[in-house]
Parts: sequence; structure tokens; C-alpha cells
Amino acid sequence: MTLRSFLRHEAVLGFLLIVVLFLLAQQSDKFFTTANILNQGRLMAEVGLIALPMTFVIITGGIDLSVGSILGLCAILLGVFWHNLGLPLPVAMVLAIVVGGIAGLINGLIITRFKVPPLIATLATLALYRGLAEGISQARSVRGYPDWFFVLGQGEVLGVPTQLWILVIFAIIAAAILGLTTFGRATYAVGANETAARFSGINVDRTKLLIYTGAGLISGLAAVIFVSRVSTTRSDMGTGVELDVITAVVLGGTSIFGGRGTIIGTVVGLILVQALKNGLALSGVKGDGTIVVIGLVLILAILATNLFSRNGDG
Amino acid sequence: MTTTLATEDASATPLVQLRNISKTFGGIKVLKNVDFDVRRGEVHALLGENGAGKSTLIKILSGFHHPDEGGELTVNGAPVAFSAPRDARNAGIATVYQELLLFPDMTVAENIFIGHAPRTGMALDWNEMRRRARALLDDLDSPDLDVDARVGGLSVANRQRVEIAKALSQDARLLIMDEPTASLADADVRRLLDVVRRLRARGVAIIYISHRMPEIFALADRVTVLRDGALIGTRPIGEVDDAALVSMMVGRSIDQLFPKVTVPIGAPVLELRNVSFKDEVQDISLVLRAGEILGIAGLVGSGRTELALTIFGITPATSGEILLNGEPVTIRSPRQARDIGIAYVPEDRGLQGLVKAQTIRENVSMALLSRISRASIVNRALESSMARDAIARFGIRARGPEQRAGQLSGGNQQKVVLAKWVATNPKVLIMDEPTRGIDVGAKSEIHALMCKLAGEGLAVIMISSELPEVLGMSDRILVMNGGRMVKTFDRSEATPDVVGAAMTHAGAAHGRAEQAGSAP
Amino acid sequence: MSLDIAAPRRSASTGVFARTIGTYGQEFIILAAIVALFIVVGFIAPRFVSQTNLTSIFSGNAYIAVAAIGMSMVIISGHIDVSVGSLIGVLATIAGTLAVNGYPIWIAWCAPIVVGMVITSLIGALVAYVRIPSIVVTLGMLSILKGGLISLTGGAWITNLPPDFLIAQFRLFGVPSPVWFMLGLTIVAAMFMRYTAFGRSIYAIGGNPEAARVAGIRVERSTVAIFAIHGFFAGIAAILFATQLQVIQSTVPAGLELTVITASVVGGVSILGGTGTVVGSTLAAILFAAIGSSLIFLNVSAYWLRSVQGLLILATVLADMARRRGVK
Repeated sequence: MTLRSFLRHEAVLGFLLIVVLFLLAQQSDKFFTTANILNQGRLMAEVGLIALPMTFVIITGGIDLSVGSILGLCAILLGVFWHNLGLPLPVAMVLAIVVGGIAGLINGLIITRFKVPPLIATLATLALYRGLAEGISQARSVRGYPDWFFVLGQGEVLGVPTQLWILVIFAIIAAAILGLTTFGRATYAVGANETAARFSGINVDRTKLLIYTGAGLISGLAAVIFVSRVSTTRSDMGTGVELDVITAVVLGGTSIFGGRGTIIGTVVGLILVQALKNGLALSGVKGDGTIVVIGLVLILAILATNLFSRNGDG
Repeated sequence: MTTTLATEDASATPLVQLRNISKTFGGIKVLKNVDFDVRRGEVHALLGENGAGKSTLIKILSGFHHPDEGGELTVNGAPVAFSAPRDARNAGIATVYQELLLFPDMTVAENIFIGHAPRTGMALDWNEMRRRARALLDDLDSPDLDVDARVGGLSVANRQRVEIAKALSQDARLLIMDEPTASLADADVRRLLDVVRRLRARGVAIIYISHRMPEIFALADRVTVLRDGALIGTRPIGEVDDAALVSMMVGRSIDQLFPKVTVPIGAPVLELRNVSFKDEVQDISLVLRAGEILGIAGLVGSGRTELALTIFGITPATSGEILLNGEPVTIRSPRQARDIGIAYVPEDRGLQGLVKAQTIRENVSMALLSRISRASIVNRALESSMARDAIARFGIRARGPEQRAGQLSGGNQQKVVLAKWVATNPKVLIMDEPTRGIDVGAKSEIHALMCKLAGEGLAVIMISSELPEVLGMSDRILVMNGGRMVKTFDRSEATPDVVGAAMTHAGAAHGRAEQAGSAP
Repeated sequence: MSLDIAAPRRSASTGVFARTIGTYGQEFIILAAIVALFIVVGFIAPRFVSQTNLTSIFSGNAYIAVAAIGMSMVIISGHIDVSVGSLIGVLATIAGTLAVNGYPIWIAWCAPIVVGMVITSLIGALVAYVRIPSIVVTLGMLSILKGGLISLTGGAWITNLPPDFLIAQFRLFGVPSPVWFMLGLTIVAAMFMRYTAFGRSIYAIGGNPEAARVAGIRVERSTVAIFAIHGFFAGIAAILFATQLQVIQSTVPAGLELTVITASVVGGVSILGGTGTVVGSTLAAILFAAIGSSLIFLNVSAYWLRSVQGLLILATVLADMARRRGVK
């Protein structure tokens, strides 16, 4: 994991991004307009936010499939806390995010205390959290939020969508934590060689717990933004978000085997995925058709990385 | 002794013969023009220090490695070339490895017959499989082993019997046993030796690798010694004794290899009082002083590494007291151990010591990140200069601090691990097998570093399987067996004979004395 | 120094009964749970055990049990397939489209099986030879299949299916054909897993891939074959799914992959690979279907079903981990 190999991967990715942007710009003259770009930023904020902690999760060699379900659960609870329990909306927002954190903490506890592989642990909680969302909501949606609430998801600050600011700020914080702090170092060490990390005095379990809890908290935040953006809550919100998130992270150069990855890579991966979706939609591909491309890109990206790294390491 | 069989067969063609076999890994010749043969109905002991080439030799025999060009391998006089383990097995060569290759969730019977189960038509015949497994195990004097038991729930000794039965189920004519008694208790060892004798009586040839001299004298017909990849000699067992074998294995005077510098011994630093961890470490009391190198000798499984793991907090002590500079301390995790000044250079460098995918810089700073950071932001400049210092101070041959640790040679990797721990300014440094698997030059560099650190007032515990290393480096030697301290020697009184005897004979004698004492 | 050899020796061989319990412990627990559920819920709401409801439980969910057979083999070998729901959706649509467009019925029945095997073999090849973790390959495949299906069909329903095509509505001795398929395939698969060398090698690969290689098993080739067999079962499941109603909704049944994985895991297939049986997964599929149905009869909202599913997986997995730690 030298600096050079990072730059190489990100350079390849950046180049790919430019090519894709160029090709898509040829397809539609609406693509490269400020309005479209800002709107895309608005649309990718939720996935983008969750991709940040997911980068940490995957660097430790884990995975979190439950983030979409946590998003759904928090969205429902936001509505329930505010509409059904009559709590002030700001309190409901905070509580919804806290519930997200608890959901993430539960994932972390199952993984660290009971040594359940992250894949199966979060597959189970994927069902559990979505089930709770469905059970609590009973397919009823909550609407009629006050106007100020929509600032978050539909408003602008200095001409840029509010959630894009949030995403940028969180991305910078995440990049700083991962790249500069002792916690970031612990994250890489745990993913590259958990035993050696433990033998070096790193608290492996605590690191993982914090990361999964963080993933839950951010999923809760994404839920609040999501609800604000679409003005309503439904229990199927965030279904399949985990796929978009994992694709962006892996495409961004984070190794699914752990130990390697950067936030910058994830952000580039994110933009690439969103650009592809948007570009294809503008070229007339219907909404669900775009996920074919995402699936293909995910598999091809790992295929390329695997073949590439095998050559590199001999 | 049933040496008659061997002598009778001496004139016949050997079952398996190696001629002029060499093996090179990445430019380093680990086996050098070795000749070796095994006869039917013979137990042939293979001896040598760690890294002498024993495992490479048996991996060639069992089809994992190809020998270099120019060598010849014959079975029953016919030249063969194994391209996969399958080929060796088909030629009647089976190996019982130290890390047993079994399926924990399958039954004993199925493990024995996996890959060649009896069938009727297309279908596996489970009853026949169980019957034959039963017969094989009875043959191995193991009527107590249930053929329907899950292998994952068996003791090591029983799993080993399953492996042996598996080898026999394929009509093995040559059985290779790699340190089969390394992790067995006394009674199990005796049973295993009986099994080996039985197999020999049936005409099976056996290559027996062990560090335990009494076993070799009790079992072997001939013994071959390897050293640094070269054949030192093959002798009938009657022509050699303990001392002769040790000198063949070591082959050099101890003083000339180990640059032991005598340094003044200071005040006590670490004290253990009746420290135990379950039954793996039992009732250890010792005092370690500044500037002292305490060598811990013992066979694999004697509790040496387990003791280190207990002091370092990986497996916290279940009873007893640990004092550091006279103050009682509790050590529940490696973190706590590190924070109070205990460092551990672990046994398995690749797994426990090093993050191979990371740079030298990241590895060196791993154990003291919190000390080189402010508000948890790592001081990158300080970190880099630390890594550069470590490279200079420890003589690490690398392109620079940004080189990946995995790209370094074994000796330089070990220096990185050592640098990581010395950077934490420890008071106590535990080194577990500090020179395992590294070349002779790097070995003596590590030894010199160890002396230098002791000279700076560090208290050092050195665990090693290599007797010469223990004898050459230590101020005091502690011998462990069965999780207990069985004897301590001062540098002046330690000779290979007495320490080796304490590791093997005395350990067993001590164990029996214990049982005798507790019986009434 | 421990002397465990001197301890009392255990009996030289256990009885057939004990052996059966040892091999099928989890299966007996699930069977007991099913029986208990039917008794308790049947007592509270007698219509729960009416023939109509029993038919809907067994016949309507047989395709899940069939899909879980293949999924169990995949999980036993140490892998997973989260795309199976989308795969079944795609294969069902292929079958329906062929049938409606006048192709011979047998082609409409065989095509999904063949296509299913081709797709899963491709997954298997990526997993075995390129060493991409199965979770990543199948996550990608999930979105390819799902997106491809919806964008090609626009989610339109396929109607006017020829009656001959609707195999799931056939009956034999008064029992709907899906139940026969479920029983027959479970028995065949169980025999295959128990009595063939290949069946045993699936356990070996999942239990200890290195040892499997040393024992002469061709791990890569077998992995592709295991995925291909999984595709075969997914194909049959798709036909049963496609023909149980008069129309085919050409979308992906929501959460189907989770239901299939739940059946396998709850049925005793260890997520760490190496253990489990297809009898267990079939029983677990029935149990889960019965739970879903009983919620309705107990006046509990069906919206809680997914939580029950999550809790079931979690409980089974935690028990599995605890058992493993107890043994070691």
C-alpha cells in the first residue's frame, strides 16, 4: 500500500471519470449544465454519506449490508416520533439518528462479541431492521412536514444544495480521520492484519465497534435528509442502497479483502456511479436499466483490480 | 530393537531414494545436493535445527515442491516426478503434518476415507466405510476412538491417529511423520511410539522427524542429520549417541557464532509470582533484572510461548502476581502491557508481528501512534524520521521508509518488528524465536542488537528452540516442560547436554514424579 | 501434564439412533417447531389447518424450498448467492415469454434451467478462478439481473399463459405438483449429498479447502459445478414460481433471496461452510412459510414477517457460533 500505488489507482479512476463524463456530455447537452450537476449532487448525497463510513468498514475487511434497512428504519421512526408521538421535529430528527447509531452498534456487537462474520450478521439485520420498519409503519406513510424541514433536502445554501454541503463537510472529516489520525491507522492495520494489530496494542474490537456504530449514525443522518428531500416517509426507503454504496466504495479502490482504500477514491467512485446513472437516464435508459450498468461496473472493477494486483505482487 | 529387519534389507533396493536433490527458493538454496534413502520396514529419523531443510525435503517427497534440475527421485528403483501431492500419494507416500489436514465437521470415518471412499456402484457405502475405519483404528490400537465422532471435538492425539489411519487406508508404503509428538502428552507419546513400531513390523517405511532424542533412540534404525540445507551424514542408530548427534546438528563452536557481551546486571525489573494461565502455564515464578538476557528453553508445546503471551496480556494470567519495578501490575491486554513497558516480538512474524502490506514507516510506528500524535493527529514528519532512524540504527536493508514490509527479507522484517517495539522504550523485551527462518548473517546481527539493547539496560527474555542460541546468548537459562519451570541454569553451568536433558528426559521424569507424588 | 488417555474410554461405537440425532439434530428441532406451530395455531384458529391453507403453505412455498436446496450447497461449500431472487424472477419471465410466444412447452420448461445454470456457472467461475468473493459477484449480478429484467419488460405482466404450461397447478393423487417436486428433489439432493463422492466433496471444500485440495479434490472445478447445480435448482424453482398463478409478474419478488438464504441458514447450514443438510433447509422453508401464514390467522400484521425472518437468522447464527465455541 504505497503512496504510488494509490495514486496509480486513483489516476486510472480519474481518467476513467473524465472519459465517461466526456462521452455522456456527447449524448446529451443537458448533462453539463450547472443545474443538472447540482441536482445530481443532491441525489447522491445519501449514498455518498453512507459510502464514507462504509469505506472504513470495508477497509477493516468487513461489510455492512444493513445500511439501507437502517435508513428505512430511521426514516420511519422520524415520522413516528414526530407525527405519532408528537415530539418536536428537531428532537425527532436527533432521536432517529441515535436509533441509527444503536442499530449500527448492535451490528458491531454481533460481529465483535459473537464473532459472527460481518456478511451474515448484517444480512440478518438487513432483514430485521427492514422488518421493524415495515412492522412499525404498517405501510402507512407520514407527510405534512413543516417547511423549514425541507431546507435540508430541497433547499440551498449559497446556491448549492444543502445536503451537498453536508456531504462535502463529512467527506473532508472522514478523509482527515482516515488519513491523519491514529484511528485511521488502526483501521488500516486491523484490515491488513488483525492479529498483528492486536499484538501491537491496538484495540481491535473497539475500532470495529466505533466504525459500525458510525455507519449506523450516518445512515440515520442520510434517512433524515432523504425524508426531507422527498417530503414523505415510507418503509421501503433505502432498499438496495447498500449496493450503490458498496459499488462506489469498491470502485474507488478500496479492497474488499481489507487493508486498502481512501476517501478520495470513494468520492471519485461515487461521482462516477452517479454520472453513469444520470448520463444513461438522459440518454433515454429507464431508471432501472441503469442499475445493470452499476452491477457490471462493480464486477468489472474488481475483476480488473484482482488481475491487476496479482500481476503486481507476483 | 528390531534392527534385524533393517539390516536384512540393507542389500535390497531402497523403497524411496533421493539422489543429489537440491531446492532453490528465490535464489536461496535451501537444500544442497542431498542424498537420502528409506528402506522397507525401517524407521529413519531425520534431524536438524529449524531451517536445516527438513521440511523442504519432506515436501519434495510428498509432491508439494519440485526439486531443482539435476536431482533424482526413485520409488522402488524407478525414477518418478511428482507434479502434485496426489501423485506422491498414488506412489504410496503419505505424510502426517504437524498442522493436521482434517475436516472438523466430518466424522472420523469420513475423514479417513475422503477422496477414496468405498462405493457400491455410484453410491458411497457408509457401512463399509465405517467398518473399514473401525478395522484400521483397531489396528492402530485405538479401539476407544469412535468412528462416528466429529473430528473437531477430538484431542490432538486422536486427530493424529485419524491422520495415520487415513495414510494407511491408502496403503501407504512410506509414512512421513513431521514432529508427531510435539504437542502430545506423555502417555500419548508412548502410544504413538507403539503404533510406529507396529507399522514398522508390517513393513511400512517411516521417516520420523523429531527433536526429542529419547524417542529417536527408542525408535529409529537409522538417523540422518541435515544442517543449513546440506547432508551431514546418515548413521545406523547404534553408532551414535546424544552428544554425537547434537554436534552433527550444531556443527560449530557456540562461542564463535554468538557475540555475547557481558554487561553489568542491574536491579530487578520484572517479577512473576506463581503466575498461571489455565493449565498451559503453571505456577511460574521468576525475577528478571535490567541488562539480563534470560533464555527460555523447551520443546514446542512446553509452555514457553504461552508464558510470553500471558506476560504480554494476550492470554491474561488466571492466577498469580506480576510486578514491574517492584509494583504489582495487572495486564489484561497487549495494550496495557505495552503502556507499562513490556514489548513482545512474537513467534510468528508474518501473522503476529508485521503488517506486510504496509510500509516500514507504518509498521515501526504502529505500537506508539498515540505518543507521536497530538489531538490524535499523527505527526507524519516525526513518524518518517523515526522510521529513518530505525533503518539506520537496526541496519535494515531497504529502499527507504516507504518500502512495503512484505518486500523485505526475513531478517530485515524481523528488524522492523524489533524496531517497532524498541521505539516504545520498553523496560522488558520478550523475543520469541527471534531468529527463526532467517539467514546466518542476519541472525548474528539480531544477536548483536539483542546484546546492545541489554547493554542499554533492557531486561530481555529470549525464547528459542535452538539450543545453541539459548546457550550462546543467555545469562541464565530457564527450562520449561508441560507448562512448568523444570530447571534453571546459570550461564557457566549450562552445556548442551544438561540443558537438552532437562528439556527432554528431566521433563518427562519431572512429570512422572508429579503424578507419583499426587497419586496417594 | 494432562493424561486424558487414562480417562474412562467412551463406548466404541454409538447406536444408529444416536448417530441419526447427531447428523440431523437441527432438522429434528425444526420438525418439532413445525409440529408445535401447527398444533398451537391450529388450536387457536382451526382454519389454519384447513386443506386450503395447508395447500397454500406447502404448495405456494415449495419453490422456495427447491431454491434453498441449491443455496444450501453453495453455502455449505463456503460461498453465498444474494442474486438468487433476481435470478428466479428473470428465469420465470423467460419461461413465461417463451410459453406465450408459442414455443413448445418443453422448451419453456427447459430454457430457464439451462439459462440458470449458465448464469450461475459464470458466477462460480468468477468466484473460483478469479477469486472474487461470492458476495461481490452476486451483489453485482443481483443488480444486473434485476435492472435488466425491469428495463426489458417494463414490469409488464405476462398473461394468457397456455394451460399446459402451468405445471405447478397439476396434481398427482390430489397433491399439487410443487409439493411432489419439493419432496422428490429434497430426497434426491439429500441422497446426492450423502452418498456421492461429489456430494461429500462439497462439505470438504467448505470445511477445509486446503485439506480438500490435498485429498485430491479439484476445488476450482467443483466450485463451478456447485454453482451450476444451484442454477439448476433455481431454474426449477423459477418454473414452479412462474406457473403457480395464471399470470407472471415480470419483476423480482421482493426479498426472495433473503427468504431462500434464511431457509438454508435456519435449516442448519453453517454460514462458515462445511455443515448442513438439504432436508433441514426444506423443513426450514416450510417452517418459515407456516410462520408467515400463522401471523395472518393470529391477527398479527404480516408486515412483521420480515423482522421474524431477521430474528430467526440471527438466533440460528448465534447458536451456531456458540456451539462452535463450545466444541473448541
